[in-house]
Amino acid sequence: MENEKKQPRFKQITVLFLITLFQLIGCACILLRQKDISAITIYTFLGYIAIEWIYMALGTIITGHDYFELEAIGFFLSGIGLTVCASFSDAYAYKQLFAIILGLITYLGVILLTKDVNLASKLRTPAAIGSVLILAANLALAQTINGTLNWIDLGFFSIQPSELVKVTFIFVGAVSLEKLLSQTSLTKYLIFCVGCVGALFLMRDFGTALIFFFTFILIAFMRSGDIRTIFFVCTGALMCAVLIFYFKDHVAARFEAYRHVWDYMDTTGYQQSRALIYIASGGVWGLGLGEGHVRDIYAASTDMVFALICEEFGLIMGVAIMLCFACIAFFAIHASKTAGSTFYTIAAVSAAGMMLFQLSLNVFGITDLLPLTGVTLPFVSRGGSSMICSWGLLAYIRMASAPFVPPEADPRPLPIRRRRAPRQPRQPMPAPPAPPSRRPMDRPDPSLNKRPPYVPPVERTGKGGGRR
Amino acid sequence: MKITVRRAYVFYAVILAFLAGTVILVVNIAMNGKTWVANPANRHLYSRSNDVVSAGPVVDIRGNILAETQGNKRVYNDDVVIRKAVLHVLGDTNGYISTGTQNLYSDSLSGYNFVDGIYTLKKHGVGPELVMNIDSEACRVAYEALGNFNGAVAVYNYKTGQLLCSVSKPTYDLVNKPDDIDTNPSYSGTYLDKVVSGLYTPGSIMKIITAACAIENIPDIYERTFDCNGEYVVTKGQRGVICNDDHGEGLTFEEAMNKSCNAVFAQIAIELGADKLKATADSMGFNSELYAREVRIKYSRFNPPANDKLELGWAGIGQSKTLVNPTHFLAIMGAIANGGDGYAPDRIYTMNGENTNKRGTEVMISIDPETARQLDYLLRSNIANEYGDSRFPNLEMCGKTGTAQITGATSHSWFVGYSQRDDLPLAVVCVAENAGSGMKTAVNVSNKVMQHFLNNPY
Repeated sequence: MENEKKQPRFKQITVLFLITLFQLIGCACILLRQKDISAITIYTFLGYIAIEWIYMALGTIITGHDYFELEAIGFFLSGIGLTVCASFSDAYAYKQLFAIILGLITYLGVILLTKDVNLASKLRTPAAIGSVLILAANLALAQTINGTLNWIDLGFFSIQPSELVKVTFIFVGAVSLEKLLSQTSLTKYLIFCVGCVGALFLMRDFGTALIFFFTFILIAFMRSGDIRTIFFVCTGALMCAVLIFYFKDHVAARFEAYRHVWDYMDTTGYQQSRALIYIASGGVWGLGLGEGHVRDIYAASTDMVFALICEEFGLIMGVAIMLCFACIAFFAIHASKTAGSTFYTIAAVSAAGMMLFQLSLNVFGITDLLPLTGVTLPFVSRGGSSMICSWGLLAYIRMASAPFVPPEADPRPLPIRRRRAPRQPRQPMPAPPAPPSRRPMDRPDPSLNKRPPYVPPVERTGKGGGRR
Repeated sequence: MKITVRRAYVFYAVILAFLAGTVILVVNIAMNGKTWVANPANRHLYSRSNDVVSAGPVVDIRGNILAETQGNKRVYNDDVVIRKAVLHVLGDTNGYISTGTQNLYSDSLSGYNFVDGIYTLKKHGVGPELVMNIDSEACRVAYEALGNFNGAVAVYNYKTGQLLCSVSKPTYDLVNKPDDIDTNPSYSGTYLDKVVSGLYTPGSIMKIITAACAIENIPDIYERTFDCNGEYVVTKGQRGVICNDDHGEGLTFEEAMNKSCNAVFAQIAIELGADKLKATADSMGFNSELYAREVRIKYSRFNPPANDKLELGWAGIGQSKTLVNPTHFLAIMGAIANGGDGYAPDRIYTMNGENTNKRGTEVMISIDPETARQLDYLLRSNIANEYGDSRFPNLEMCGKTGTAQITGATSHSWFVGYSQRDDLPLAVVCVAENAGSGMKTAVNVSNKVMQHFLNNPY
């Protein structure tokens, strides 16, 4: 039992140490290229590394365990993004650090707000109305400013509201479907979805609209099976029809380069063709930080960041990033099996789905396997809104794997009880009851998390487990 | 809840699709990276004016530098005639000449490979050296021998496959590219390497193919005699296949070949039939995509009509709609000379910075050894008994001329052949456009190039 607990802790420190080492090397690479060594670069990296260690240390102390795989992946990916930003300029670097801090705050905020499913239910309507209002405000502002961009400029920071709404979109969807709702309630949810996607149509943000649409389908699928299915299918078909009708000309003009990037090399296929040229030029091991040519291309640190990483860090880093997201997705499914309630299951899977879909649109978009839609790479792309959204989504996956256990005196029928019941028959041997004093305050009984004794400890403590 | 969890498993499909996409991406890069990297938009390799900034030097087999990078500029051989003579086989850096070495082997010149990308080039500042089999002096000889005629000349070693000389005209000077290159009709086809991408009416050189078919399908071909009275009439009252001369009666197969008698060969072709002729031609690489190593050859077309005997007769002597490619015929000569296996002409000696040639040979055209032996005899007989060894002093040449009639213009002058000397295992192909009889220009050019190699062993 003691060994079992120590094993992952040791691993977690090693992982964090390796991530730190990676970031220090990245920092050194940037400093070596600077004519005058910039203190801001050093402070930014040290600050970021400090945040990682403080988060992990505090987390371990507060929760009494150190299962932080998700956060480790988040930190790793954000660190790559920060390194890319720092290789551009100091201003990019500290803004990105600020974005990561905002992201972490959002992460913790989402965890706190969704800890109690009942509280979350109450927040549904305000969140939905707030989201639609933000998008509407954005639509009004953007139209007067630029017409096509969905940015709100706040001087120091510009915000992309659609990114923030991604987090609430999943929240509203998961809460709405967590309980069997009345028809009117469901109708309200459909109106909300149509409102969100519609606003994005009007903003001509095709990529984000697609992401919302995909997530909507995913959420709908997760909780279908009756008369509501028909509703969802109809709404989905309607959205599709509107999407095709509304974007017909726009899509035709914009996607002419799809699968023909070499014919439109200097017009609509510019970014994709350059991405392919430079990804191949980078080889497996990369040309070295700052040595690439992707960085001279428009949106190099945002939409094109995957190409930049492949060219300078190597294809191996690009594939590593892809695998990181695949791990997050596997984690989400695994965690959803034992999630405290349907809310967590739906939220985790749809959040992972949204992330994966956005990643696919980004990576496969710039490499011409999918049409280019101009979305960001979660965690890695430069930008506050994208970072906030990424960490916000990650929180849902974390919540599925660590459901809140209320005090046992609480009389309400809580999700956690539903979770325990089906678990019993799966235990080949009854777990020995642990002494109550050893139980962490807000965690389920650790004895429940024990795997059957015949499994070797090392395997049992591997990654991706939600059953702890 | 249970349903929801079970439904979550469908999400595995989404993840699988994603992972499959990742694999496709990596495979795509591994397969096409070479082409992508070579794109002139790649600023690692090209400057904004599309000069190759860091490709490796290209050297000919005698060590003469054909192209190299100095500073940020691609510079070429000092001699303007050599620059013009090797233009097509060397190629440009803008991809106008798509079959040029600088375009086709740009991945090697940039040191690209999947694992390292173009890191080697970044590290050394310049790509690895590429040594060509081409002898630029021989190209100069061929270029000058062609004089005012356009056309193609190529020489290769049929024992090793080394392509030693390859000249295509019209040509231009890479260093001083003419301003009117796109408008002046005299530059028409100048971006085409006619040695690999040219297609010409073959004329009498096609009789080699017809002869091969006859050898394989008419057992008593050498015992038979043929008559020629200046025309072979297929249908009474209609004009037949016109012969270049009245060769008289009692011609043997060998004499008909020597004299290149159209009447006899049209008769043989009609007797053989379209199917057998086409089968022989196809077995020698007609009508199919051929590669001389990495260089794609424009394929020769031979589709004799089965139901039109007159047209079949014309096809049998290399007229009609038949079109052949010079490199293809060079490889056929190589196959005959080499006893069956015609190696692919290879312009590369070493590349990728390797010190020794590891490429070996590759069979491009394969013909039956017995057929090859008999064709070898007939081609030698042509020179010895008809054209005269004095046209090819000391070369022990075998070969066949061709005079390809073009509607509304002077005929193309052809010569294909090879030397039987052990110390000079070279095959040659020459086509001079609108230069008249094969016996004049093409034989003359071929002899000059071959004499160059006889006097200057490489």
